[in-house]
Amino acid sequence: MTSTKTDVVAEGLGAAKAPRLSVVGFLMALPPLLLVLFFVGLPVLIAFTFSLGFTTGPNRVLSMIGQEIHKKDQWWGTFSAYKDVIHDPRFAGDMRTTLAITFISTTLVLLMALGIGIYQRMIGGRLASVMTALTLVPLFVPVVIAAWAIHTFYAGDGFMRSFFSQFGIEFPTVTSTVSAIAIGTIWTSLPFAILMVTSGLQSIPDALIETAQDAGAGFIRIIRTVLIPLAITPIVIAGTFTAIGILGSFTIPLFLGPNQPTMLGVEISNFFGAYNRPQQSIVMAFIVFASASGIALIYIWANVRSAKQSGRI
Amino acid sequence: MTDSPQEEGLVLNGLTKILGGRVIIDNLHLVVKKGEMVSLLGPSGCGKTTTLRMIAGFLIPDKGDIVLNGKDVTTIGPEKRPSAMVFQNYALWPHMTVFGNVAYPLKVRKLAKPEIEKRVHEALAMVNLMHHKDSRPGQISGGEQQRVALARALVQEPDILLLDEPLSNLDAKLRVKVREDIRDLQRRLGITTVIVTHDQDEALSISDRIAVMNNGKIEQFSTPQELYDRPETEYVANFIGSLNHIQGGFADGQVISGTEVVGIRPEDVHFSTEQVPGSYPATVQLVVPRGHFCEVYLKRADVELHAFISLDVPLAGTSGFVKINKALIYKDGKLVRVA
Amino acid sequence: MAKREKSRAKSSSPVVKALLGIFMLAMAFFILGPLLWLAIHAFVTNWTYPNLYPDGWTWHWWTQIFANSALEESIRNSLIISPIVVVLSMIICLPAAYAAGRMNYVGRKTFLIGLFAANSFPKIGLFASIATLYYALNLMGTIVGVIIIQLLGTIIYMTWIPAAAFASVPRNLEEAARDAGASKFRVFRTITLRMAMPGILVAIVMSFLASFDEAQGTYLVGAPAIYTMPTEMYALVENYPIQIAAVFSLLLAFPSVLLIGLARKHIVGGQLAEGFQIK
Repeated sequence: MTSTKTDVVAEGLGAAKAPRLSVVGFLMALPPLLLVLFFVGLPVLIAFTFSLGFTTGPNRVLSMIGQEIHKKDQWWGTFSAYKDVIHDPRFAGDMRTTLAITFISTTLVLLMALGIGIYQRMIGGRLASVMTALTLVPLFVPVVIAAWAIHTFYAGDGFMRSFFSQFGIEFPTVTSTVSAIAIGTIWTSLPFAILMVTSGLQSIPDALIETAQDAGAGFIRIIRTVLIPLAITPIVIAGTFTAIGILGSFTIPLFLGPNQPTMLGVEISNFFGAYNRPQQSIVMAFIVFASASGIALIYIWANVRSAKQSGRI
Repeated sequence: MTDSPQEEGLVLNGLTKILGGRVIIDNLHLVVKKGEMVSLLGPSGCGKTTTLRMIAGFLIPDKGDIVLNGKDVTTIGPEKRPSAMVFQNYALWPHMTVFGNVAYPLKVRKLAKPEIEKRVHEALAMVNLMHHKDSRPGQISGGEQQRVALARALVQEPDILLLDEPLSNLDAKLRVKVREDIRDLQRRLGITTVIVTHDQDEALSISDRIAVMNNGKIEQFSTPQELYDRPETEYVANFIGSLNHIQGGFADGQVISGTEVVGIRPEDVHFSTEQVPGSYPATVQLVVPRGHFCEVYLKRADVELHAFISLDVPLAGTSGFVKINKALIYKDGKLVRVA
Repeated sequence: MAKREKSRAKSSSPVVKALLGIFMLAMAFFILGPLLWLAIHAFVTNWTYPNLYPDGWTWHWWTQIFANSALEESIRNSLIISPIVVVLSMIICLPAAYAAGRMNYVGRKTFLIGLFAANSFPKIGLFASIATLYYALNLMGTIVGVIIIQLLGTIIYMTWIPAAAFASVPRNLEEAARDAGASKFRVFRTITLRMAMPGILVAIVMSFLASFDEAQGTYLVGAPAIYTMPTEMYALVENYPIQIAAVFSLLLAFPSVLLIGLARKHIVGGQLAEGFQIK
């Protein structure tokens, strides 16, 4: 890794912005903003009104096609569709599965990323570089392929079972279980987390680590008191991005998970298409979005914190 | 050196370090007395930082031993070595307060809380930073950061204090003050200290003895005065102070043709309008004011010299007489005589 | 100081080394195992469980892929749509990225966080929601519709990463060029753009992959009129033997592997990571 070392102190100084406001800047920022407002903001807003039982206007067609549509009974709408979803036993299982997978996979991804990052920062060498390069492979593999490859690998006639049966060991069929979803989400989330964490750890100046060594601190203590606190911002960012990505994942649970319970991403699609209950589908999307927003707040907090620490605010 | 072994604080014995196939440190010997302050002085790339890092334990020498207070520490890691280092950029942990930074080494040593508190307060009082105890490193000035780093090193009560270019990040005025503070503290505590610097002023004013380094070797190890008066090699003479550097020989106060190198300090060139024994006619060619003295370029029949003159500075074009009070004569880079 | 050797005093013990080695092997197996397993399937006639060796080797599946016009069309669609998406994304987003990186305007932070918030709405939910709008605008089943869907997934990469790259170009380098007599535009072209190029390159690669790999939205909006390679995979997995899917996977992975060589250095070099911290 030949990355240029950014000094923690220098970074804060360099990022200081000239305090002038620019109209041109605002205009330049408009195109992507308008695109997102129109094709994300607007549909999401319309969908939100739909979930509250506004069935006229743009929601008319969907309301006619869909089943179990709730119409608003108050001026602000109705929570009937939300009640539907929350009382649906399928949803309860899916929600638990989704949250559990998100939590477990994110934790494992972060631990792996920390392991590799610390290994590279403290010991380094060729082996560490090879290792990091290896973990980047999933970044370049389309999710569809990854999902399918993992599916066949852990399937009933897959490699794992073939291999272990040579020794007379009955390896379980992982494919179509919740564990397979976890494997898939970890597999696809690894590169980004490793990039964030590794680069965060690499940007810690040598001297800060060596001083701790000089002061008598051992390996574990240095990790605990110097490395992790100093790289906490990228670690939190890696964690939140990973969690948000996993929360909304669709292809991985579709290919790898069981029919029931599965992750909400798949269920949103099922409710929208197969079960033809669009309103409930949208409600689920908002529940996932609400969870993601909670995680996003942690992300924003981490960014603000890092800005404060380097004196940018 | 006839010191008894107890007096030896640090002994470097035949230290050799090869990095990336290049010999960085080549069979280096150095004995630092207990309580002594020694500078490693040299240009960048001469191996002084590598030497310091070996003393601290961050690098393991390929050959040779490091003995600290009579104990061989060559292969002991930095965390076990009774040395404390102050890094060039101070290396304060930005996520800890000033107190937290200084307390860290003591927490590592698992001292009791009240004991830690007491010793940190003592250390902070020593460097006059009690009022910044709860500040973060980012909120205090460079000079204050430097003192925190010093306090963090001293709180460990190390056998040896190592300073890596401790003043290079401070502005010129502050540098003079801080170096005096460091010197003062070092004397008061009587702590053996090795300081790495490329600044000769700093080395000359702060050290008991200076080791001038070049290409991984020590060219000369003496007191500042001796280093200045009697530089053993041409390299040292050039590195310390200014020098008129002339190819030739020297006889009867005059430069003659020859195969040696004559080094004449500008301070040893004396200009006067009256002839004295040993002086020869010369004209002033150029006068450059340098603050509290002037650099004067003089032309004599045998040689052109520059001199530092602080009193009765002559005008350009003036004629007079120049006497060379002292000349250092080198052959093959080594001092052969002083005339 | 150029000397930065990490020869630590404590050399790791053989036990630690062995553990590290095992960890390495496990990681390699975890990441590469499934890919290799699938890749081998592209060349085998049949594989009887639980044999470790396939029954035989063949190129048969490859010829079948290229004989199938539907598969071929999906490849063509992918190769046309993704570059268009990337170019559009650059046109729309790079000025905004420059503004976010170098200028200070009201709502600059809100802009960056807003894009991030939009990105954290579950994609599949968005695609379900967007149907209404698409029907109204007659975009269902059209190339334009697919392009817009894929474009949405690239915006976060094409704004954030270049914004960080632009922000990190030292201003005094630009000032030095202005001082040397270069015009504003020339400074931008020869200094700012050049120095931000690694970041932009990473953004291009990430956007291309995002577009090229996008399956859910493309499927919802494009099918059954327009299939790209990833959406075709959905159909393949259901309807064809595993070997066909394996061949198709190799084809689908090919552009990605090419891009590794292009941008690996910069991605590993921290451009990607830099891009995801709001400054």
